Amino acid sequence: MRNVAIVGAGITKFGVREASWKDLVQEAGKAVFDDVPNLDKKEIDSLIVGAAQPERWVNQTHVAPLVAELLGIEVKRVISRTEVACASGQAAIRYAWLAVAMGLSDIAMVVGVEKMNTKFMNFSQSSMINVGNREFDGANGFTAPPFFALVAQRHMHDFGTTREQLAMIRVKNAEYGSYNPYAQFQKKVSVEKVIESRMVAPPLTLFDCSAITDGACALILASEEKARQLTDTPVWIVGGVQHVDYAHTTNQMGDLSHWVGLRKAARDLYEMLNIKPDDIDIAEVHDCFTISEILEYEELGFCRKGEGGKFIEEGQSYVGGKVAVNPGGGLLSNGHPLGATGVRQAWEMVMQFRGEVPKERYVDNAELGIAHNLSGMAQLHHIMAYSLKKRSDVKFGR
Amino acid sequence: MARRTLELPDSVPLSPIIDLWDQQDPDGPDATGIYDFYRNLADGELTGQKCLSCGKLVFPPQIICPSCNSTELEWVKVPEEGELYAFTELKLGAPIIVENYAPFVIAVARFGNYPENGFQISGMMFDESYEELKIGDRITWDILEIKGPGDKKRYWYYFKKL
Repeated sequence: MRNVAIVGAGITKFGVREASWKDLVQEAGKAVFDDVPNLDKKEIDSLIVGAAQPERWVNQTHVAPLVAELLGIEVKRVISRTEVACASGQAAIRYAWLAVAMGLSDIAMVVGVEKMNTKFMNFSQSSMINVGNREFDGANGFTAPPFFALVAQRHMHDFGTTREQLAMIRVKNAEYGSYNPYAQFQKKVSVEKVIESRMVAPPLTLFDCSAITDGACALILASEEKARQLTDTPVWIVGGVQHVDYAHTTNQMGDLSHWVGLRKAARDLYEMLNIKPDDIDIAEVHDCFTISEILEYEELGFCRKGEGGKFIEEGQSYVGGKVAVNPGGGLLSNGHPLGATGVRQAWEMVMQFRGEVPKERYVDNAELGIAHNLSGMAQLHHIMAYSLKKRSDVKFGR
Repeated sequence: MARRTLELPDSVPLSPIIDLWDQQDPDGPDATGIYDFYRNLADGELTGQKCLSCGKLVFPPQIICPSCNSTELEWVKVPEEGELYAFTELKLGAPIIVENYAPFVIAVARFGNYPENGFQISGMMFDESYEELKIGDRITWDILEIKGPGDKKRYWYYFKKL
């Protein structure tokens, strides 16, 4: 396998945007082209577009060639759209990485995009029932908030996690979001404010939930040879894994307070790179709801099972703690435009490793970062690892 | 010169993609191979399946056993008494077609000896509020009749506290 680096990253403002799906694609495209000024567009040979539900929210299918047209790219090697719901963006990075790593592509572009705010918001929200098994769980009103509410209820019941500990996740991520000019929400919040916000699905309130968001993010991936020509600070993709722990429907989910698939995915990644959880300096994790980040601490091995609540309460996941988790503000602050989220996580890695983020959320001397994306009702877990050093140059397992 | 115009209808029929029970057709191009599941509901029974070849329980119903690929699956009644495993109440963002029923409780219940020999199933609860329920409550399923749009009559199930 060839070494593969991210050589450029560009992002749009996330939020409720007065912009079309196509506008968002062009904004992100221009941002990444501006980030790699010496790249000739003609050198881009591949394009992967992460998009979850464009056919529902903007009535457009066959979106990859549309993006090629909007960005003026002639694709000669690999072009496709990836869809795995909330992790469609990381999937796009993964396939671009594979294409460059195996030598089929030399320079590949990744675009993650979602336009979720429309004139028909209740229709937009209703579309989320299709992410679970529509016939058997969707029909019971099983969208994401009620599902993650059940996870929170079980975690509180099984491990004694408290309402306040859930809120502390939002407090941390809101603080970092306040230093991220691209985030949908840039205001700090208090534990009280989170708990007292409008009830969505008990125990989860509005501030426990990531938002319905418009946004796009783009990357340029390159082979080592091309990367050296394009940038002095390539950010290397050093590994990646995916795992489905149960298939799709409630009957296959087992205990809701355990994400066995994430536990297995993390174990596989750590074996692949010969690292321990302690080696990770930055973790962008999928905090679609506050409870998600607590389970992620546990299943990624940052703390013992059941102690995720304690981990946030002790401040271990702040910058300067045991591991900096979501220094970009996470999904809770940035919002969650499904196809863009996984790409935004990689954008954050690039900005962190280049030292181009405000000092309040900068992780100094970071060597290894991971990005965790989950999809659906946490059925499918995706992790990628990024570093300033090539996999062969870095001594993991310190 | 007058501009040429295209006159559109006053209203467009409700899109079938917001119908939550759209996958229940016994015949035609949308026919489902598990239609007997819905026939059983109409007859008053919530059913899962048992594979006659490997003995595993299957839910949701399928036409082929995902464990051993057998096509010999028999219908088995989901036990009438189960345990409330987790629940919430959907107060915001209910699917359009059931918006008028919100807030309603969404629950996950376990029937039989799950996971070895039982089912874990999601369901709506209409007569209970979040505050009145607790994990471990004994519950049962009952048949829900879905009337409309128009003359359409279909069947589903819901949970209620014992």
